[in-house]
Amino acid sequence: MMQGATRLGRPRQPLTVIGGFLGAGKTTLVNRLLAGGAGRYAVLVNDFGAVNVDSDLIASHDGETLRLTNGCICCSLGDGFLGTLARVLAEPVPFDHIIIEASGVGDPEAIAEIAIIEPDLRLSAIVVVVDAEAFPAQIADTRLGDTLARQVRAADILLLNKCDLAGDEAKARARALLAELAPGHPVVETVGGRMPADIVAPGLIGEERPRFRATSAADHEVAFDRFIYRRPGAFEAGALRGVLERAPSSVLRLKGWVRLGATAETRVLQMVGRRWTLAPASSPARGIELVGIAASDAHAGEALADLLDHALVPAADGGPDFSSAMSRNPYGDDPRCN
Amino acid sequence: MSEMTVFEARRVITMDPDRPDATHPDATHVAVRDGRILAVGAAEDFAGQPVDRRFADCMILPGFVEGHAHVMEGTLWKHTYVGAGDRRNPAGELVPGLSSIDSVVERLAQAHAASPTDETLVGWGFDPLHIKGARLTRRDLDKVSAERPMVVFHASLHIIVANSRVLEMAGFDADTPIAGVVKGADGQPSGELQGIAARLRLLRALGWTSWAGELEAADVARFGAAAQVQGITTIADLHNDLPDSTIEIYRAACTEDLPVRIVPALASASCAPEDGVARIAALRAHNTERLRFGLVKIIVDGSIQGFTARLGAPGYHNGAPNGMWYVAPDDLKRIVGIYHAAGVQLHIHTNGDEATEAALDAIELALKAAPRADHRHTLQHCQLARPAQLERAKALGVCLNLFANHVYYWGDIHRDLTVGPERVARMNAAKSAGRLGIPFSIHSDAPVTPLGPLFAAWCAVNRISSSGAVLGPDERLSVGEALHAITLGAAHTLHMDSEVGSITPGKHADFAVLAEDPFAVAPEKLRDISVVATVVGGKVFPAARP
Repeated sequence: MMQGATRLGRPRQPLTVIGGFLGAGKTTLVNRLLAGGAGRYAVLVNDFGAVNVDSDLIASHDGETLRLTNGCICCSLGDGFLGTLARVLAEPVPFDHIIIEASGVGDPEAIAEIAIIEPDLRLSAIVVVVDAEAFPAQIADTRLGDTLARQVRAADILLLNKCDLAGDEAKARARALLAELAPGHPVVETVGGRMPADIVAPGLIGEERPRFRATSAADHEVAFDRFIYRRPGAFEAGALRGVLERAPSSVLRLKGWVRLGATAETRVLQMVGRRWTLAPASSPARGIELVGIAASDAHAGEALADLLDHALVPAADGGPDFSSAMSRNPYGDDPRCN
Repeated sequence: MSEMTVFEARRVITMDPDRPDATHPDATHVAVRDGRILAVGAAEDFAGQPVDRRFADCMILPGFVEGHAHVMEGTLWKHTYVGAGDRRNPAGELVPGLSSIDSVVERLAQAHAASPTDETLVGWGFDPLHIKGARLTRRDLDKVSAERPMVVFHASLHIIVANSRVLEMAGFDADTPIAGVVKGADGQPSGELQGIAARLRLLRALGWTSWAGELEAADVARFGAAAQVQGITTIADLHNDLPDSTIEIYRAACTEDLPVRIVPALASASCAPEDGVARIAALRAHNTERLRFGLVKIIVDGSIQGFTARLGAPGYHNGAPNGMWYVAPDDLKRIVGIYHAAGVQLHIHTNGDEATEAALDAIELALKAAPRADHRHTLQHCQLARPAQLERAKALGVCLNLFANHVYYWGDIHRDLTVGPERVARMNAAKSAGRLGIPFSIHSDAPVTPLGPLFAAWCAVNRISSSGAVLGPDERLSVGEALHAITLGAAHTLHMDSEVGSITPGKHADFAVLAEDPFAVAPEKLRDISVVATVVGGKVFPAARP
């Protein structure tokens, strides 16, 4: 039994929007997800022509939908979001994840809003891919700069891609520009769009213990640190939200069961980059159990654990008080979001 | 040999530039055979021939050519018009404009009472700008019915107002966390919906497949009729995904009984350019005299009044942030290059001058890679072209189709908010285009503004805004120039000037029959001239004008 069933008994399908300018590496990322087979994905792309999967993997192709032998499908957005999304949502078996590749000049936030208000969908994250080498020139181009800035500001997680092609100096410049445009947004340096599927296309959380899939070849070129957080108690709800708002930006992913308040009600936590949701769980958990991924930061797990411990009930004396923190994700715990 | 028909008129205005005088002052008769023009002349040229005198008191002009409209005009007339200005429906009846929210509610109530089903009631053309900014809300619509689903499209088509029933169906409430579901002072949705997400949810909630639904034969019939009553004989449907179902409907509908020739343009966004080239080739192979495929439309930016057009320096007059690219400049180069190299004619929507520059860059690059005479790529709207851009357009052989109607409908907004008093004076710079020798037309973009080439001509000749201000008097056209723009000028942009656009022997016998002489009436009366009938391929279609 899956979490967060809709009225019709189907779970809300998680959706990730991949944004970023032309040539940043969105399609490479998409190609990897399709071929990787880490889950059963529906991928919606603007240009079929750029999708490049091994012909052995192709089960059928009718011009609108490419079906792969691993259960993934890839749909062209050529005839618009309405028909394409309707086709995907009408598939008999829900997907582990739906990924929409925005156009190079598209506003990923506008597309992400689809998942925010569509009852059959849940927004997982907006992932924006940036070309490490080209970004400084692109952002300085008066014709393009505002479009790129809008994309970067919308990102829950930024992929600074093509890091193998950019020198250290270029990378540092790009990082500084990103920090200026979108302070505190997690930035991950990637090569060839290699990212764990658990970040760009996380599936639903089932009955079994939260865990991440085994490290795949996709992880090799960039170091990701995984951590676990287990406690017997419960969080003070407001304090937990405060911690989630201020989690170290190297924390890219967090998921699992939390318990809230004096009644220790169980919620499913899903967090990708800056975006998180707390949704009702189908059955109570015996304790708090979270797993996380951090980018090249062996201490991120400890730092986060420290913050989380301060949010436990009863709150530890002298801990930081985040309970009144402004929420950057005010709808994150809307029960409709999972 | 087939029968010849000689039409007599008060005067035949040929608009044929090869004649010593384009208006051909002595011509009173035009002979037609096999749907083509045989000869033009005076009574003595046709002595002894039977003469059809039904238009003897009228003026015969070439049928008007509308180079930029949308078949959605035909679909919308299925619904209830609630706009501020008078508008002529496909039956030729004048539907009065509505000057208040109350009158909008009243007309919707009448439509509901006339057909009280539980189908969604649709209103269209709502135009807050021309009723002193009054906004329509769910509460207004709920007065018509709180049970029946109801939506009203703004004239811009970018905002939709829904009643409470529809908001409930869509699941929109005070907690809906997106700006596109607009909230009122009470925190509840006001009923106004905008943006891709809200629109998508709305469509899904209503169970619609698109805003217009699958194209139906009746939509094409209404489109043709709405054009015909305005004297139009050739009309472009200038942005269409052209799914197979639409092509079938078009092929079935575009017969000799339809009073217009239709020129659909394939939407570039609907497929990769390589596929588009193949689709155009396949479609062109089955062109008929009434249905002409071959154009591809690319949209580069948004609209100026919606602040989504891409403006170059100094940007929006009121300091609003710059608009959106629909296609990135470099991607535009790629797409234009592929279509151009394949010999396809492109119609490129640019509103802001930055978008126009990107389009000119793309065309220049394509021409360097594949020199091609007489390509006739046309910039559509091209409202803010700078003088230097017009020079470039001329140098590159680019045609323009300017949005003359904008000066009337949004001119005041452009002067006060979007571009300011100086740039508004050279918006839709038709006089400059003509002086430079750029082939150009003017258009309605119907249903965005009403169909009516004589109205567009009136706009270009007078440049009067809806508040009565003359904006950019130096860019006003003469009546002759404006008539050229809505006939041969438009035909040129559609690459149909060898077949339509003037009364010239050999061309299709497509005429607009007018009650008055456009050269004789005062320029400010141009829009008031009645269309009596049209002739398409020699066949007469009376224009009902009660």
